[in-house]
Amino acid sequence: MRKFSFARRSFVGALAVSAALLAPVPDAAAQTRLRVNYIPIFDVTSLFVAIDRGFFAEEGLTIEPTPSGSGAAGIPGLMSGGYDIMFGNVISTFLAQQQGFDLRIIAPGVKLVPAEPEGSGLIARKADGIKTGRDLEGKTVAVNARNGVLWLYARAWVKKTGGNPDKVSFKEVAFPQMLDALRGKQLDAIFTVEPFFTNALNDTSLALVERPYRAVQPQLEAGQYLTTAAFLEKNPEIVARFGRAIIKGVEWFNQNKTSPDAHRIIAGFTRMDPAVVAKQTLRTMPTQVDLAELSKTMGLMKEHGLLKSDVDVKAMVAPSIVK
Amino acid sequence: MSTGPARQASAWAAFTRTRASGFALIVLCLLLWEVSTRLGWVVSDNFPPFSQVLVAGAGGLASGELLQVLGSSLYRMLAGYVIACVAGVAFGLVLGMSRLLDTLVRPLIEVLRTLPSPAIVPPLILFLGVDDALKICIIGLAAFFPVFVNTFGGVRSVDETMRLTARTLGLSASQTLRKIMLPAVLPSALAGMRISLSLSLVITVVAEMISGASGVGYFLNLMQYALRADLMYAAIIGVSAAGYLLNRLFLAAERRVLHWHPSARGDAP
Repeated sequence: MRKFSFARRSFVGALAVSAALLAPVPDAAAQTRLRVNYIPIFDVTSLFVAIDRGFFAEEGLTIEPTPSGSGAAGIPGLMSGGYDIMFGNVISTFLAQQQGFDLRIIAPGVKLVPAEPEGSGLIARKADGIKTGRDLEGKTVAVNARNGVLWLYARAWVKKTGGNPDKVSFKEVAFPQMLDALRGKQLDAIFTVEPFFTNALNDTSLALVERPYRAVQPQLEAGQYLTTAAFLEKNPEIVARFGRAIIKGVEWFNQNKTSPDAHRIIAGFTRMDPAVVAKQTLRTMPTQVDLAELSKTMGLMKEHGLLKSDVDVKAMVAPSIVK
Repeated sequence: MSTGPARQASAWAAFTRTRASGFALIVLCLLLWEVSTRLGWVVSDNFPPFSQVLVAGAGGLASGELLQVLGSSLYRMLAGYVIACVAGVAFGLVLGMSRLLDTLVRPLIEVLRTLPSPAIVPPLILFLGVDDALKICIIGLAAFFPVFVNTFGGVRSVDETMRLTARTLGLSASQTLRKIMLPAVLPSALAGMRISLSLSLVITVVAEMISGASGVGYFLNLMQYALRADLMYAAIIGVSAAGYLLNRLFLAAERRVLHWHPSARGDAP
């Protein structure tokens, strides 16, 4: 009998403690925590600049940057509430929207700038003499993800330069492995980005074929910050504050791109050697989202079979950040 | 009296039988690695010289980062592993002893067994979120099956004589379980747990590579993108070492627990 009542008391005690722990804690002051998902690539520099320079703190936000190694966890994580905001690429965003995940674009991400050097491109072995999309027919090209932004623009470039993209075979290879596969003759061309792009060009047996992004859509906007429509509806103020902080981060970065501070920040979240960061092509980042460019991308997605119908781009983007 | 080549041949034979010869083979492979990179046989950003890996590893240990990364993974791994062992033994016992439950539950288990972890991550995220719960669930799911299968097999192969003896002696169900079944099933269950141990480590790293923000798997990915292949290999070696140590610890514990069993005493039938 005594044993039983001790067990019962412990159980009730445990229940009480758990209830206390799970009860919502009243918010302290105005600091709101936001979990932001990202992949450790240069594109999310504005996020880390804004954290480092205190722009988020000024807006009363504490950011919990939560990385993923790949994009697979991003949108499911956002939908399940594991993340509040994420950095996503435009293709995945539109694909998710078409499948019924209601997403909103809340801050600008990355954009090509015609006047600046561009750190991505198609690279092939010099000896093969590949120059146009036609030359790629019957050959294998590596992209990091099929149905992704590199895949789409590689196909668009092939089409533009007289080739049939359906006759080009695309293989999924992670960026760090692309160069080895190309040198080992397992592929004929790779479409790669920084820092692997600069590395590849250092190899004299390889040659740059073309920069498909620049050739097809010189002002392409490849990535933006997203959240769910539900989150935006519940927290419009917080989302607006996030957007403002990001834009301040962008402005600071654009003015201080070549400074040691900028290199330190980037080396911090990518874990790259700061000396290597200093050698990279760091592009100016956009302060607004360009609907025209998003629509062009959407058009390409439809042309190459990724989208069945139009997505309402205008409705997806917060008006305050539209160009 | 054997002299010259005959004596050398037997010394060599004696050496290959010692554990040192296994380590010598590993050292030889590492030398090959070093030489192949220094002499330019293999050129790749992803294949630094072994000496560079050692230097990076020393740095990583000194800064505490490698240990923190490994520790983070080991925590998740052990959590998933313990859950899998408890569940595996429980299910193995129950389904082994009850034909009715076995017929009912087994098909479900067989279906779950063949699900590959990378494929189930996105749907699991919707239910479990993106943090440790997700990874621990994946690890537990993978590690469950060897323990379950082995325990189940152990139960089914318990000598009928022992069961009848228990009945003759008038033992209750729980007494039979504790005094007859569990000791009889223990060797099989432990064999399953040992398989699950290395499996758990592998799955932990894989799960972290797919959806991790910390731990070895995420670190491996991150270092590849950061062009720090040397740190990546240092972490891989760390995982190997951890796996080896865990296995040896398990074997030592197993010998202790099964000291009464013929197989441990060395006079198994």
